[in-house]
Amino acid sequence: MNLKRQLLLVSLLTLMLPWAGCEFIRETESALRQNQQQLLAGTARAIAGRLAQYPEEFAVHAGASHLIGDQLYGHELESAPNIDGYFDDWPLTEASLRSLPGVDGRIRFVTGVFEQYVYLYIEVADKNIVYGDASSLVPIEGGRHADRVRLISHSPPYLEDFISFTAEAPGAVVAYVNNAYGFELASTIHAYWQDVPRGYQLEARIPRSLLGTHLGIVVNNTDNANDAGVRSASFATPTPGSFVRTSGELARIAESVLQPGMRLLVTDANGWRIATVGDLRSVQETITAPVSTWLRFAYDALLEPGKEPIFSEPDASGREQQSYIVTAIGGQRSAVWFQSADSGRAIVSVAEPVRTATETIGAIVLQQGTDEILSLTNQTLARLMNASIIAMLVVAGVLLGYASLLSQRIRRLSTAAEQALESDRIETKLPSADAADEIGDLSRSFGHVLGQLGDYNEYLRTLASKLSHELRTPLAIVSSSLENLEHEPLSDSALAYTARAKDGTDRLRKILSAMSEASRVEELMKNADTENFDLRPVLESTISAYRDIYAERAFTFECDDSPFPMSGSPELIIQMLDKLIDNAVSFSANGDRISVALSTGDDDSRSRSFLRLRVANPGPPLPERMRTQMFDSMVSMRPHKDNKHLGLGLYVAKIIADGHGGRIIGENIDGGVEFSVLLPSS
Amino acid sequence: MAKRIAIVEDEIAIRENYVAAFKREGYAVDAYEARGPALEAFAARLPDLVVIDINLKDDVEGGFELCRELRARAPDLPIIFLTARDSEFDAVSGLRLGADDYLTKDISLPHLMARIAALFRRLDAMSKPQAAQNRIKRGDLEIDTDRMMISWQGQPIGLTLTEFWLVHAMARYPGHVKNRQQLMDAAQAVLDDNTITSHIKRIRRKFVAVDADFDAIETVYGMGYRWLSV
Repeated sequence: MNLKRQLLLVSLLTLMLPWAGCEFIRETESALRQNQQQLLAGTARAIAGRLAQYPEEFAVHAGASHLIGDQLYGHELESAPNIDGYFDDWPLTEASLRSLPGVDGRIRFVTGVFEQYVYLYIEVADKNIVYGDASSLVPIEGGRHADRVRLISHSPPYLEDFISFTAEAPGAVVAYVNNAYGFELASTIHAYWQDVPRGYQLEARIPRSLLGTHLGIVVNNTDNANDAGVRSASFATPTPGSFVRTSGELARIAESVLQPGMRLLVTDANGWRIATVGDLRSVQETITAPVSTWLRFAYDALLEPGKEPIFSEPDASGREQQSYIVTAIGGQRSAVWFQSADSGRAIVSVAEPVRTATETIGAIVLQQGTDEILSLTNQTLARLMNASIIAMLVVAGVLLGYASLLSQRIRRLSTAAEQALESDRIETKLPSADAADEIGDLSRSFGHVLGQLGDYNEYLRTLASKLSHELRTPLAIVSSSLENLEHEPLSDSALAYTARAKDGTDRLRKILSAMSEASRVEELMKNADTENFDLRPVLESTISAYRDIYAERAFTFECDDSPFPMSGSPELIIQMLDKLIDNAVSFSANGDRISVALSTGDDDSRSRSFLRLRVANPGPPLPERMRTQMFDSMVSMRPHKDNKHLGLGLYVAKIIADGHGGRIIGENIDGGVEFSVLLPSS
Repeated sequence: MAKRIAIVEDEIAIRENYVAAFKREGYAVDAYEARGPALEAFAARLPDLVVIDINLKDDVEGGFELCRELRARAPDLPIIFLTARDSEFDAVSGLRLGADDYLTKDISLPHLMARIAALFRRLDAMSKPQAAQNRIKRGDLEIDTDRMMISWQGQPIGLTLTEFWLVHAMARYPGHVKNRQQLMDAAQAVLDDNTITSHIKRIRRKFVAVDADFDAIETVYGMGYRWLSV
């Protein structure tokens, strides 16, 4: 991983900023919510105390033995439905319909109150509708039977009244009221029977005066007139439960104390909602600006989630069964938060029991939107996000730039060090050498090391010529002494010794002359007259000479017909080729083919045309570790001791190539080695 | 009367060896180890030939100084540099000072003797009338083998002994390529490639100084050199 990535990774730490900010927002939000909740709870307590003075409005009518589910709830209707057998004109939703199991399927019904009337709607699943006739319009002992709906009205301790709806045909239905005293036609009741594919629907309007405090519904479903059929009732106990009606009185009282933007639900001890006052939206439709999706997401992720906002609405069935309200009815006040909907509206809901001195008679639920908190939070959140993003970008950008700067400096240093190593004369001045930081230290250490290396290289370079110079005088002493000795009378064995000694001095002389060759070539390079010549004929002539000299090797020469002009000293170029060929010959075996090729090309790095001279021979590959050193003075790659080679041949070749402004490189090729010399073309 | 050779050499072992060798050849030899004593002796009497080492004890360029002074005093005295210094620069400096030959200590005693003998022969030939039979003429080139003189288009070219022998070897058979070994043998010297190259270069330069259009010596790359017959 490079420095840039590392620092970018470090810059991720700036993500701590938004996190810390969010923590702060969460704290603030939490405190604000707490505050609002407490205020709301205070208001709720006051309202509950006020309402507790009207216990009769909460009265659950006698018959506590009844199950809560046996009670019918009179929905407060905002308008009067038409009595036509259809539910679609009721100001209620389908969710308000209660259902009970019938013999042919579900029976659904609802009761509502509008002004002085109680409205009933019921739909019964019936596969076989049995209409009534004169003999069966009223259920009497021993009479005939029909499909019918009965409303049971009861005001304990009086006897029950039955209001029967039996259809002779679809359409308006005449209702009969019967009780222990007989039956009579109830002309004030309007009812309508509508056949539908699954059964029938009945809608009725009954004056409240006809009804008692307790109401129940019984459906009789029969398949023929002779059979009583199956009875389905809205109550499980022998008598129906009390009819729950909303209390206008409570609503009026509550309305006087309620602040705008609040909604109050009042329930009785069974949880039936007996008053609904106020509207959450009454303050202002939208305080908050539309919230962007990602902010919404961030908000939901950051803040404590609440319940779905739908649960804050009054229960369609009329009975509030949410646990916090149940808790309040049980005597414990409690509070709950509803999650904000798309508008950014969160709702706090406080449930407070309504107590008399002796018992809990109901509960109130006070709800309020949290537009102000939310808008505050949203704004803060948005600002925090923006600031964080800007801060992160700035930090990341600065770190990236800084990392680029650092890595650029280091890369420059590394490149310069590499170049210094590759070039002959080592420059000790490297980039950043004057910098006071660690990179500067590194650069200076590099420079120091390179300087020492350069001194060492210089020492090696001159070692050979110095050595040969110093050895020449003692060698002259030995050889001249030997030559004088030849003229003395010597025994045969002494002659043999002097012959051997002379042989040795000859070899020594050759070695010394090879050792000083490099320095003489360097000297020659300085003084050489450059001439413009065509390299091709020079090479052709030279290679034909090699064929004679190295008869046991095959030589090939590949070359285009085009001229290969260059400027320099042809003698030196030949000397360089001599060294390369000598090298190629000594590393190949008898019968091997040494190929020489000449081509032209463009050197991209120096943007000028050059000549490429290649000498390839089969043989062992160049050892990898010698790659960079093989052109140095007195470096031999030969595996075995070979006294004829001092490792100066390639060094001389390099001096000549460099002196002509060219380069020499050695590479392993398939099954052999190839040396290429790039020489600038004139 | 025996020819008298003076040798100025600070290295006693070499000096004594050369002295012994010269004496064996029948020369009279005076040996000096430094410039001072040598100059004193030369003031009294000039030898017939002087062999000088360049580096004399602490006197690093002492040989050059000595050569300069001798040449001023005796323009025709043969002077040979015999030194361990093999750099081109030293050789050029030495020859420019008027030395007749510049030899490195690699040279074998027989080769050295051959050169000295040749120098004496030339000295002798100079004092005799020119003998026509010992002259070779190749176009503009004229070689006097006795005097070891070469002229081009009638003008003498001042060549050293080595250079003379090289030209002589090439020009005797014009058109024949002489390889390095053959040239080396002709010059009675062990010369490496670079030395031959620089010798040829110097020879060409000397001819060009006389005739700007000179191109009679051809380089046959990889093989050697040949004299082009005109």
